[in-house]
Amino acid sequence: MTVLGAVLLLVLLLMLVALLFGLGQRRRVNQRLDRLANRLSGVVTTASKSPFVALERLEQVIEERELRQQSREGESRYEAALETLDAGVVVVDENKEVTFANSAAAWYRDGRHSEAVVAQKLDDLLESAMQGEQFSETVTLFGPPKRILFILANPIVVDSSFTGAIAVIHDITELEQSNAIRRDFVTNISHELRTPIGAVSLLAETLIDEQEPDVIKSLGSRLFVEAERLSMTVTDLLELSEIEHSNDSEFEPISLPTVIANAHDRVRAAAAQKGVTIEIASHNKNYSVRGDRRQLTSAIFNLLDNAIKFSSPDGGAVTVGVQDVFGRAVMKITDDGIGIPRQDLDRVFERFYRVDRDRNRSSGGTGLGLSLVRHIVTNHQGHIAVDSIEGEGTTFTIELPLVSTANNYP
Amino acid sequence: MTEQLRKSYHDELETIREMIVRMAGLVGETIPRGTEAFLAGDLATAQRIIEDDDAIDAMSVDLEERCYQVLALQQPMASDLRSITTALWMNAEIERSGDLMANIAQATRRVYGSSFGPQIRGLIAQMGEEAARLFRLAIDSYAEGNSGLAVALDDIDDRLDELHLDAIAAIFESNREQAFDLQVGVQLALVCRFYERVGDHAVNMGERVRYMVDGWLPEHSGALRARARANEPPTGDL
Repeated sequence: MTVLGAVLLLVLLLMLVALLFGLGQRRRVNQRLDRLANRLSGVVTTASKSPFVALERLEQVIEERELRQQSREGESRYEAALETLDAGVVVVDENKEVTFANSAAAWYRDGRHSEAVVAQKLDDLLESAMQGEQFSETVTLFGPPKRILFILANPIVVDSSFTGAIAVIHDITELEQSNAIRRDFVTNISHELRTPIGAVSLLAETLIDEQEPDVIKSLGSRLFVEAERLSMTVTDLLELSEIEHSNDSEFEPISLPTVIANAHDRVRAAAAQKGVTIEIASHNKNYSVRGDRRQLTSAIFNLLDNAIKFSSPDGGAVTVGVQDVFGRAVMKITDDGIGIPRQDLDRVFERFYRVDRDRNRSSGGTGLGLSLVRHIVTNHQGHIAVDSIEGEGTTFTIELPLVSTANNYP
Repeated sequence: MTEQLRKSYHDELETIREMIVRMAGLVGETIPRGTEAFLAGDLATAQRIIEDDDAIDAMSVDLEERCYQVLALQQPMASDLRSITTALWMNAEIERSGDLMANIAQATRRVYGSSFGPQIRGLIAQMGEEAARLFRLAIDSYAEGNSGLAVALDDIDDRLDELHLDAIAAIFESNREQAFDLQVGVQLALVCRFYERVGDHAVNMGERVRYMVDGWLPEHSGALRARARANEPPTGDL
């Protein structure tokens, strides 16, 4: 009996120990599961009552985390896509806090000067868009450089409630410039052709009924002048179109100083008549470029002709110089004339563009000269630039690739 | 809590800095814009500049109040105090530069219809460019806390001063040749003076930036001379 009692007591004792051990294990599992859930969610909560509750919480936390991860991956994919855009993109939340800005937009937001103006406009437009409507504005920046931007701001609506706004900045400078060129070209060409045609038909009409020989002679000579002007414009237009479509298959090595000398011969009389001296820097080196002799002579002639036209009369000076800069011939034609206003500098190479209509009309010319020059230079893989200060003069700089082996021209 | 307060305090200092850069952006833009409008006789743009100047004035008032608030509520010390007082000075200099460009816009109306020779036009264009460049450099020196650049502004301004003298000489010359009315000549001279003043304001900004960065006060050299004079024994007969 005593033995049985002792065995029973032992069994009970063992069961108690096992129960206590089991409870301890259970608490430890609970704690570990809770710790894991806390680590994953980043939120410390009160200890769970049972391992099942802890396990359930852990599963929930893992699920939330996976969802977040997926949405973050989705977001970063969109962010990476927006990053590749040239346009600036800024997104703000409902508290007007910026939640995303690609680097094109950051360039404006973190910038100074003109960029700071854009940053201010962005903020204003985003704030307006938060009211629930689309807003846009075209901003012209004087820089320098001059730029034209178009900013569009839209509210972001998710499940019919505003969650913020998005603004997109487009740089429309080139678009606006090409629009202006096209618009002006159409106006100018119709003007340039219509004026002499109108004059020709009017003079001819008057001529029909005229009996007086002196008047007929005068009308005839004016008719001739107008016809000449028209013919010059058409010739230049055709030449321009020919140059536009020419290729370099007939290019040959040409001596640049010879071309300059030939062009100089063609303007000598005009220069002498106006009292303008032309000084051509002499060089020991014979700069050689690959090109079309006729085209290059025409280009330099046009620049010299312009320089003489706009030089100060009696005592004006035009200088021409060539230098070798890293394997390229850099030719400068400088005059000390009236100069070109800053705002026209970028546009003087456009067809029919005139800085000052009246002045240019009296100085003759078709308004195509500089356009021809630029086309010729571009055809020769060259580059042309103009720099000018009103009242001080103008310098045209032409850069052409030099032929590496000298003295192989005829 | 304290940390949060400090954070919002530093955010406030940063906001003030940003407001100055933005206001300067607006004023800096009006320099080339106003010059182009003046030379082209563009009355619509001149009108815009005059109207925009009111917005700049409003920004300047906001900025000033914000600075006073920080001074009163946060009682900044050392470099923070210097940066707030510098902001107040910068605010005034930038606002004044904006006023000068509005004056040029008004002159655009007054000389409307009169033509002046290429030499004067060229000089005005150059003064406009030089004034815009100086103004931008002054703002760069502020935004970067670059005292080296700030010190250099005084010398960089020499070119604008030279252009100013050339322009005045050219205006006298044209007046002698009776190229335009005396009234136009006076307006042209004023416009040149306005550009020259924009340059002077840029130099002043440079001096304020030096104070912000190094604690250097612009009138130190003058004050030293005054003290030296005060300590000198009186000279001459009594």
